Amino acid sequence: MSRYGPPSALRSTSATGCIENGRLTVNNAADTTSEPSAIEAAPPGRRSRLARLGQLLLGLLPGIALIVFWQWAAGRLIKEIYVSKPTAVAQRLYEIFASGEIYPHLWTTAQELVLGYVVGVVLGVIGGYALGRSPRMANVLEPYVMAFYGIPKIALAPLFIIWFGIGVWSKVALASIMVFFLVFYNVFSGVRGVDQELVNLTRVMGANERQLTRHVYLPAAAPYVMLGMRMAIPYSVIGVIVGEFTSSIQGLGLFIHEASATYDPAGVFAGITILLVFVIAANLLASRLERRLLRWRTLSGARPNEI
Amino acid sequence: MTDDPAIAFDGIGQDFPAPGSNVPLRVLDQISFGVDSGKFTAVIGPSGCGKSTLLQMAAGLLAPTRGLVRHRGRAVASVNRDVGFVPQQAQLFPWKTLLENVELPLLLRGVAPAERRRRVAAALESVGLEGFEHHYPSQLSGGMQKRGSIARTLVYRPDVILMDEPFGALDAQTRMLMQHDLQSLSFEAGATVVFVTHDITEAVLLADNVVVLSQRPSRLLTNIAIEIPRPRDVFEPFRNVGFEMAYESVWSAFRSQVDIRHRLH
Repeated sequence: MSRYGPPSALRSTSATGCIENGRLTVNNAADTTSEPSAIEAAPPGRRSRLARLGQLLLGLLPGIALIVFWQWAAGRLIKEIYVSKPTAVAQRLYEIFASGEIYPHLWTTAQELVLGYVVGVVLGVIGGYALGRSPRMANVLEPYVMAFYGIPKIALAPLFIIWFGIGVWSKVALASIMVFFLVFYNVFSGVRGVDQELVNLTRVMGANERQLTRHVYLPAAAPYVMLGMRMAIPYSVIGVIVGEFTSSIQGLGLFIHEASATYDPAGVFAGITILLVFVIAANLLASRLERRLLRWRTLSGARPNEI
Repeated sequence: MTDDPAIAFDGIGQDFPAPGSNVPLRVLDQISFGVDSGKFTAVIGPSGCGKSTLLQMAAGLLAPTRGLVRHRGRAVASVNRDVGFVPQQAQLFPWKTLLENVELPLLLRGVAPAERRRRVAAALESVGLEGFEHHYPSQLSGGMQKRGSIARTLVYRPDVILMDEPFGALDAQTRMLMQHDLQSLSFEAGATVVFVTHDITEAVLLADNVVVLSQRPSRLLTNIAIEIPRPRDVFEPFRNVGFEMAYESVWSAFRSQVDIRHRLH
């Protein structure tokens, strides 16, 4: 396990692939923004392929058990009209894809998610970096950021609809503002936490401000940027779906909303399943990026013992 | 080259704001001494006396409250890029391989790639780390990280090397080996070194001059020349001719600063 890394509390959890399932529920991604938690580490060592397959199956087991239980319980313990059942959801999924009904919704929501996420991350990184580097600016602006952070962003949805219309942009705005704060605070604390001695040392070595950014601040902040980006994924989904619930012409949120309004739980679960796939795919992409960028953190200490 | 010492501390005083008090805490007071070119100077004093603060001033990272630090006659007013700083912790960049770490100062100073490669290889070889170029610091032991840190300083041949208790965190054996290597490296290179430590044996074994500071507010108690011939045996200090006498003279200045009776209870 990595015992190094940025000074504050970066825990490493051994995690690949399937844990994403466990983390999916949209609002459990911890509201602690200033204190980064769970960052992945330790790619599997030299384990045999068979063992890895077993591990995968073991990871899938709770999910399968849940689905089996759901199938069994629907109509027995709980009325099917409340919870539908997996086969009905699968059936519904097949229908909406076969009929092509879902594609316009998918396309709209995908656009909103990607745009909202990217805008939020870019602004968050820039803002967090700028304030992290300049304590004076941070002293002035941080209380304001803090105050805005305290606003429940969901309350802004109606306002954004008025400002940006009921099309794509109100959802992009809502998603990006949720993403922004998460990324902002992570990057801000990451940059602020850079070891001052290391910075001074690099200055003595001959670094100017630009070189300091490139060789010290950015790499030191990278784990925080990645953490913020990962935590922000479910939040971008919340932003977009809430926006679509509030008012929209098209989108998965609207689809789910309509399904629930017409007492169609299978439709609701079908929509949720699609969102789930979105989030899983985004998480996989993020962990791949993370593993590439933070290779130095994930190398386990196979340290030679002689000095 | 002039007769100016490599580094001259001239009437240095330093106050730090004391928490919960309007009266600042006086840490250093009227400290003056010179570090001659090509000499190894050890600065020794009780903990908290501001030894490290002196190094930070020489590196231009901290402006003294009173007095002036000169580097070859020129007042140090901003970050001093003509020195090399070896901190207490190795402070290698964890996101860079050993090679990239050692290469960085050359990169920052715009040295051409071919020259960089040559000098990095030489520096790594001089500290015995060839073969570990592509390891990340986390994959190296504490001693190896320290060697890397020293190589990263040697590689750009700074005019003066400032070392802040560099071996304090190492285990006893590693420490002796490092002292041994540092002695030969600095002797061969004719390097000018200012070495802060709280270990009398280390100071006496490595240095040409030992500067002894008092407790806070620190004053310079004495500046003792160590005449033990080189190369000195760091593994069995007492075998060096003149070691006992040198140790004795440093200790007699130092002991007044340590409350022995208090420590024994």
